[in-house]
Amino acid sequence: MATVRVERAVKSFTREDGAEMRVLDGVSFEARESGITCLLGPSGCGKSTLLNAIAGLEKLDAGTIEFHGANASNPIAQLETGNPKLGYVFQDPRLLNWKRVEGNMIFAFKGMNVPRAEWQARLDKYIDLVGLTDFRRQYPLYLSGGMRQRVGLARALAIEPEVLLMDEPFSKLDQLTARKLRQDTLAICARLRQTAMLVTHDVEEAAYMGDRIVIFSARPARIVEVVDNPLPLAARDLDEADFIHFKKRLLNVVLKAIGQEDA
Amino acid sequence: MSSVDTTPAERDPAIPDGAAAASLVRARDRHRGRETLADIALRAASILALISVWWLLSFFFPPTLVPNPRETFAEVGAIVHSGELASEMGATLRRVGVGFAIAIVFSIPLGIFMGTLRSLESFFEPPVVLGLTMPGLIWAVLAIMFFGLNEKSAYAAVAITILPMLTISIWQGTKSIDKDLIDMSSVFHAGPWSKIVDVILPQLISHILAAIRYGLGFAWKVVVVVEMFGFSNGVGYRVVRGFNTFSMKTVLAWTITFLIVMIVIEFGLIGWLERSVTRWRPRAEAWRR
Repeated sequence: MATVRVERAVKSFTREDGAEMRVLDGVSFEARESGITCLLGPSGCGKSTLLNAIAGLEKLDAGTIEFHGANASNPIAQLETGNPKLGYVFQDPRLLNWKRVEGNMIFAFKGMNVPRAEWQARLDKYIDLVGLTDFRRQYPLYLSGGMRQRVGLARALAIEPEVLLMDEPFSKLDQLTARKLRQDTLAICARLRQTAMLVTHDVEEAAYMGDRIVIFSARPARIVEVVDNPLPLAARDLDEADFIHFKKRLLNVVLKAIGQEDA
Repeated sequence: MSSVDTTPAERDPAIPDGAAAASLVRARDRHRGRETLADIALRAASILALISVWWLLSFFFPPTLVPNPRETFAEVGAIVHSGELASEMGATLRRVGVGFAIAIVFSIPLGIFMGTLRSLESFFEPPVVLGLTMPGLIWAVLAIMFFGLNEKSAYAAVAITILPMLTISIWQGTKSIDKDLIDMSSVFHAGPWSKIVDVILPQLISHILAAIRYGLGFAWKVVVVVEMFGFSNGVGYRVVRGFNTFSMKTVLAWTITFLIVMIVIEFGLIGWLERSVTRWRPRAEAWRR
């Protein structure tokens, strides 16, 4: 497994009216290895832009993004292009609706040059992991929203990425579906000891999912605070006093960051 | 055309999780399936009604003007049995096929470029829109004047009549391609071939099929006109020969034969093609039941 270090990341966009708009203003932090790092901040603060930069979809104006292996003798696996292997779960599942569940995963295998001999074993393992064994030959449009998001998760995990990137993957699901999928995702990541980054604007989600929570200010984004979750997985119970206390602490930091302390 | 893009499952914002969703979709599709069966019955009834009106009319007019439907259909049978159908229809189908192939070869890249590059869109929009308004009959006249009375003029007339139509469909289809899916394929390092075959073409296929369906309708009309101008075979030629001998029965028999073949191709072949490439849509499922 690997970790990610972001150093003084700067990114501006040019608006329609020609004005420069800075979204990332010198962001630095390091992700937790074999755990979930949540990027928590208000909507539109640039945390998704940063995730896209990590995924290679956007270029930073300044600053660096580095991937490190666990130690010097264990360098991270790289693709032929020199990029690290990254899995991405999108806000919308972004599946190829004309391919079955298996076909969607094989599409990623082909792109990531997964040897054909491993396909079957990986399909079995990861489809089972997300609980879709009965639906593996199904087309996505026959599945519910939550199940489609599970396919997206299976696709990202099955390439066995160094880092799993997730961009608000639960925000378009209804509350109960989202709650179940959060539980399952957390358990799966813990079981695989997966290094993961999760973008969210939901404080409770960050407190529940994050081993480390990186709190962003409003645009232009800076890091306000990096908090390591004091609660072990077993103690993350939404109704437990410790959890509620931790969630409140995060909320206060976020409110302060966006200048709504008294709101 | 736009209706093929939205599927029931996508339009439904609050779809419940799990097996409940699957059974909901199935129930909805079954309902649709019944509707289509009723539709088919209605269509058959409509055709029967038309033939009945024809049959009634044949009592009031001499057979040279309104021949008896039964005799006409017997003539249709004779056309099929004598092998004339195969040769004449073969010639007509070949002209449509070649013209169509030419139009497809040009319209797919042109449409994709117009959909991707703004400058090409501006440049090609006027001729494409103008071409769409041009009557096929005029293209037929121009093609024959230019190429003379040979196969080339038939191919050219068919190709140029449907080219604008195909181009517009593919152009609009390309514009509506989901950019998020392209990003997704980049994240998973899909190669250029995989991007085209797995991501882009499947999104265009329903637009291309719709274009083929509209295009065929126009291609049939144009090819018959070209054949009437002085070709020595093809369905259009046969119809004109019937006209020259003032045999209403021959004209009608060839027209009916032509219509039947057309319907088989449009609803059978194209419909089958459409169903087999859109099997992933819950709506397509309804058609198979």
